[in-house]
Amino acid sequence: MRRAMPARISAALLLAMGGGAALCLLAPSAQGADAELGRYLSSECTTCHGASKSDSTIPIIHGLGEVHFVEVIKAYRDKALPNPVMQNIAARLGDEEIAALAAYFATAKKPK
Amino acid sequence: MTNITRRHFGIMAGASLSALGLPVLSAPSLAQGKPRVVVIGGGPGGATAARYIAMESKGAIDVTLIEPQKTFTTCFFSNLYVGGFRDYKSLTHNYDKVKKGGVKVVHSLATSIDRDKKQVVLAGGVKVPYDRLLVAPGIDLKFDSVPGYSEKAAEVMPHAWKPGAQTQLLVKKLNALKDGDQIVMIAPPNPYRCPPGPYERVSMFAHVLKKKGHTKSRIVILDPKPAFSKQGVFTEGWEKHYPGMIEWQDPKIHGGIKGVDAKTGEVKTDFTNYKPALVNVIPAQHAGKIARDAGLTNQTGYCPIDAASMKSTVDPNIFVVGDASIAGEMPKSAFSANSQAKVAAMVIRAELTQSRAFPARYSNTCWSLIAPDDDIKVGASYEPVDGAIKASNAFVSQRNESADLRKQNYKESVDWYNGITADIFG
Ligand SMILES: Cc1cc2nc3c(=O)[nH]c(=O)nc-3n(C[C@H](O)[C@H](O)[C@H](O)COP(=O)(O)OP(=O)(O)OC[C@H]3O[C@@H](n4cnc5c(N)ncnc54)[C@H](O)[C@@H]3O)c2cc1C
Repeated sequence: MRRAMPARISAALLLAMGGGAALCLLAPSAQGADAELGRYLSSECTTCHGASKSDSTIPIIHGLGEVHFVEVIKAYRDKALPNPVMQNIAARLGDEEIAALAAYFATAKKPK
Repeated sequence: MTNITRRHFGIMAGASLSALGLPVLSAPSLAQGKPRVVVIGGGPGGATAARYIAMESKGAIDVTLIEPQKTFTTCFFSNLYVGGFRDYKSLTHNYDKVKKGGVKVVHSLATSIDRDKKQVVLAGGVKVPYDRLLVAPGIDLKFDSVPGYSEKAAEVMPHAWKPGAQTQLLVKKLNALKDGDQIVMIAPPNPYRCPPGPYERVSMFAHVLKKKGHTKSRIVILDPKPAFSKQGVFTEGWEKHYPGMIEWQDPKIHGGIKGVDAKTGEVKTDFTNYKPALVNVIPAQHAGKIARDAGLTNQTGYCPIDAASMKSTVDPNIFVVGDASIAGEMPKSAFSANSQAKVAAMVIRAELTQSRAFPARYSNTCWSLIAPDDDIKVGASYEPVDGAIKASNAFVSQRNESADLRKQNYKESVDWYNGITADIFG
């Protein structure tokens, strides 16, 4: 099921990815998420996100809380968030793939 | 459905590459030690593949990258150097981190591939054996596709379609122009490296002339194609920022490009003789010589590949990625090369170390700068469909977008450059 992002979560907040830490506390365990799948799929993200800094337009996603990650990607998939590059990436991700990516990035370190 | 479902995975977890429709090869002769992967070409395609194979196999595969140059200057963002938005140094990267990532980097030219013996011969005669070879030599220019043009002629009429001295020559000539001078660009026929590249470059020419206060200078694009990438938004941008300065001519207008004369500086079409102060000739292209010599190309001049793996359809031990490959609907871009390299790296590891194989996923976005803070983009996702790489969810910038959005695109492109060069070179 695809779920629309609640309107009250502002796009700006999500883009800043600032909510990650707080939401992380509520994150379900990563049990069941396919770690190898997450790692493979993550290489598509690393192309653009691998060298991000805190003030980049392309935000840091390494270490992002799982619930937040899932919410943002689904919002892009539902086109509730605007950037066509991300809408495009999210469009072909199934729920399990999003979960695998979220679990991967929750603990992944940014490449040095 | 293209999503990788858990059921799908159950099947693939058995390390069965045939489930992916890939030809299954007998395991390489591992008795002598680690399996060996050799990569020819240290650009976006080759360097990414070498790094990912070394990184993900954690030392289980011996990876050698063959690249003659000690540093790599990117063609991508070279137009921003032309426009004065970047310096040349910012486009140049070394292989230190590639080496640190566990790749043996050999700075030499591969002169031939002995496919029967499975070895690459280097300039000087050294032979490098492989279990799998990844070929990513980029493109060569077909100088004679424009009558009168040659490598020698490029010293006065630069192509600047391969990075380095050519790009610097183009900038020097551009900066020396006086008000009233004319620029002629001969654009390339399809398929070629970076579809929006010529038109971004023309935008940068115009920006430099405008900034210098030129009011009488003109730019003519002689195009062998009836249409070009992001045409609607480029044309809108040219009218907005550089009214009257840029004239694009398709074959119906110029009647045919007859050729150039490097001695007199002339460019001839069916209807007109030009004598511009700057001529930028971007000729037709084909896969790098090493791929052609090894018989990896077909009649198109590029290398046919299996859409699910980037494996050559000619030789099951060889993969081809980047500009040299025929990657279906994917454009020839650094983004595409990097994306294809990751798929090839995943399949090569699966073949050599029985690691898990996943369905191929490709993507691409190309940003182009029209004027300061006015940046447009085009992109899509790609997957193998019926044996060919097909696009889905394609998007392109629209006319009348807000200045804020275009400015955001520009910032995003700069962040993308930092991200992808770190992904390629470490
Ligand atoms: C003006 C311009 C602007 C561009 N802008 C963009 C952009 O904004 N975004 C984008 O994604 N792409 C852009 N591109 C396209 C991009 O530069 C190419 O698609 C990309 O470089 C292709 O990567 P590659 O690895 O296939 O080949 P290359 O980058 O050409 O790398 C090939 C490497 O192989 C080496 N090599 C060749 N033969 C041998 C041999 N026999 N032995 C050993 N080594 C060998 C070469 O020295 C070279 O280092 C642009 C291109 C141009 C010209």
